[in-house]
Amino acid sequence: MKRIFTWLLKLDRRWIFLFVLFSVATPIVFPIGLPVTTTDSTRRAFEYLESLKPGDTIWLSFDYGPSSAPENDPMAEAVMRQCFLKHVKVVVLALYPLGGLGLANTAVAKVTAEFPGLRYGEDYVNLGYKDGAAAVMRRLGEDIAGAFPTDVNGTPLSRIPMMRGVHDIRNVKLVFTAATGVIGEWWITQVHSQIGTPVVIGPTAVSAPKYYAYLNAGQLVGMLSGMKGAAEYERLLRDTYPQMARFYKSTRTFTATKGMDGQTVIHTVMIAFIILGNLAFLVTRETGRPEAAA
Amino acid sequence: MNFDFGRVALVLVLAVVPIIGIALGMRAPALRSRIPILIGIFAGLIPIFSLYIPKQFLSGPTGMSPRLDQWLIILAGFALLLGIVNVVQNNSRKISRREKGWFFAAVLLIGLLVTSAFGIWGWWTKMGIGFMPDGSPTPFKWVEDRFFQPLQSTIFSLLAFFMASAAFRAFRARNTEATILLIAAGLVMAGRVPLLEFLAAPFPPLHPSASAASQFLGGLAERIMDIPNGAAQSGIIIGAALGAASMAIRVILGIERGYLGLGQGE
Amino acid sequence: MIQDALGIWIAALLTLAALSFLYKDNPFFRFAESLFAGVSLGYYVGIVLNQTLEPNLFEPMRQDFGQNWDLLVPGLLGVMLYVRYVPKIAWVSRYALSIYVTYYIGVEFTRRIHGEVLPQIGRAMLPLSRFDLPTLYSAVFVVGVFSVLIYFFFSREQNAVTRPIARLGVWFLMISFGAAFGFTVMGRVALLIGRLNFLLQAWLYPLFGITS
Repeated sequence: MKRIFTWLLKLDRRWIFLFVLFSVATPIVFPIGLPVTTTDSTRRAFEYLESLKPGDTIWLSFDYGPSSAPENDPMAEAVMRQCFLKHVKVVVLALYPLGGLGLANTAVAKVTAEFPGLRYGEDYVNLGYKDGAAAVMRRLGEDIAGAFPTDVNGTPLSRIPMMRGVHDIRNVKLVFTAATGVIGEWWITQVHSQIGTPVVIGPTAVSAPKYYAYLNAGQLVGMLSGMKGAAEYERLLRDTYPQMARFYKSTRTFTATKGMDGQTVIHTVMIAFIILGNLAFLVTRETGRPEAAA
Repeated sequence: MNFDFGRVALVLVLAVVPIIGIALGMRAPALRSRIPILIGIFAGLIPIFSLYIPKQFLSGPTGMSPRLDQWLIILAGFALLLGIVNVVQNNSRKISRREKGWFFAAVLLIGLLVTSAFGIWGWWTKMGIGFMPDGSPTPFKWVEDRFFQPLQSTIFSLLAFFMASAAFRAFRARNTEATILLIAAGLVMAGRVPLLEFLAAPFPPLHPSASAASQFLGGLAERIMDIPNGAAQSGIIIGAALGAASMAIRVILGIERGYLGLGQGE
Repeated sequence: MIQDALGIWIAALLTLAALSFLYKDNPFFRFAESLFAGVSLGYYVGIVLNQTLEPNLFEPMRQDFGQNWDLLVPGLLGVMLYVRYVPKIAWVSRYALSIYVTYYIGVEFTRRIHGEVLPQIGRAMLPLSRFDLPTLYSAVFVVGVFSVLIYFFFSREQNAVTRPIARLGVWFLMISFGAAFGFTVMGRVALLIGRLNFLLQAWLYPLFGITS
């Protein structure tokens, strides 16, 4: 037993890497279909959007890049689908410099193709990317055209029908920010605190623990934490709108729900690694054998 | 020409004064640091005062603050590109001197030049950097989708492997604090995914119990996130925010000058 | 389309080159890393030019210079930032830099006080009008915030009273960091899932004619 643990501790870490690779790849090749349970913070976000009326406008901010796309893309897409189903108008923008705009363009193209009756400029608009997120948010409180004189294609806002009724961010019912890093936090601590616009955040799992403090303080309407939060939102969307199930059933398209199978497997592996590593540490420590370096 | 108060005041303070300062600085080197700090005081106090002083000249639609916000959006764009000059200089030097790794420096510069060229092409032709009118991607978008996104995603995903290795080889319950950390980590990891349902999947009689236990673990994980985690994060946020706010005042008032490349006495 | 197939192959090969670092550092990984750095910087050029400078600076001045003459100032300040690379007149860039830094720091100040300190302190104020489970949870929350703040107070040496409170704060922090680790695992693995999904579903499956 002690020999086994000693051998394990000295194992080349590349075997661990290979094991992790197979652990994550196997559920992709052979989907398990594990259930997704929902949490209160995600339900609150979903119910708030459900309470919006046709013609209301929400702000969907792509404040993330490719480094968190598998978590944030499904969130943004699910929110867009819900809005289009409810005839809520969507203003899309990106404030994250390293890839936000590209992901916004791709997500908008993908989701709007699923709703053939949508009209650009009347049901949704893409304002594109802007530098200086903090200055942009300040300016949005005065007038949107001061920060975004045109949409992503260069069309002046005055020529976009749905923007005529939206002078500043106070005219918007909700800001949904799919975020990595601080820009999502700024929507809460700057826009919500100084202007009062309700905010729902979809942070990456890495930054999600911090946002529980904002959720507790009532600064957030709701929160979708990482891939789990996205999977929860997809589940709520499917349960409320059964016609949406078709977007989440195909095994080719990546969705958060499918990703949760891999998450479950790797969490099991990680917990096993921690237990095994500590057992090995205890056993080998008792025998006085030196532990392998990490 | 529009000469509303906000514009004129900003141009006087943030353009005319610097011009005078530059002219004076050519003759008196001591003023090369003092006048920028003085201007910084104005630029830093305008967004603060505009929140507390609801006067037209400051925070009204034609006031200084909204116009300054617009200026700084533009300035942020220029600032984002500032590091590129440094990178080009360093890598060009590496290539010209045939230093170790010069080939990779060339790869970097080629990537930079080609992507920039596509971006400039999009601007010049007004095609932009998204999709063309026929729905196909512009060259810039194609490079973004096929080079930038895969590389960024993959390089960040390497961390998952190193975390797994660290979980096995380094995470040890050596003392009380480490034990608390590991138990919390384990409970949260187990509660966030249907772990028990996964483990019980080959044993149908265990499914109902696994489901109930999984729900309990999920609730426990959420409770841990809400209360002890929320409390700790709240404390961290308060402490960090007070520290950042006091540092902000020091920078605005010119007490901290490190960002200008100056020491305390300069 | 050919460019689509070519693009998928390029993305797949670059993904594999980046993953090769797990075996050991090698020229393929270094190639991918250098290419990533270069393309990222070029990306900045594209988005800043097309999304900020053109619509917010060039176009307004072209369309209506009378209304937007003052935008010359941020334009010139922006160019002034680059003067730091000319050693003899590098000091001139201090003007632009001081405006840029102090403005954003001023915004940061208001954000921190109104968005962080005040709401978080408000949450930590515990009404004791009822004694029920939510109040108990709130009491634990308040104790946690207080003990963490005591821990972070480094201006004075801790004494017999503050030391145990700070220790309690450390325990709250350890729970938070443990929870954060759990979430971080999820976050990093999500990326890996995304990449492997791409390699399998978008590259390998079509290559071998597998339809799923």
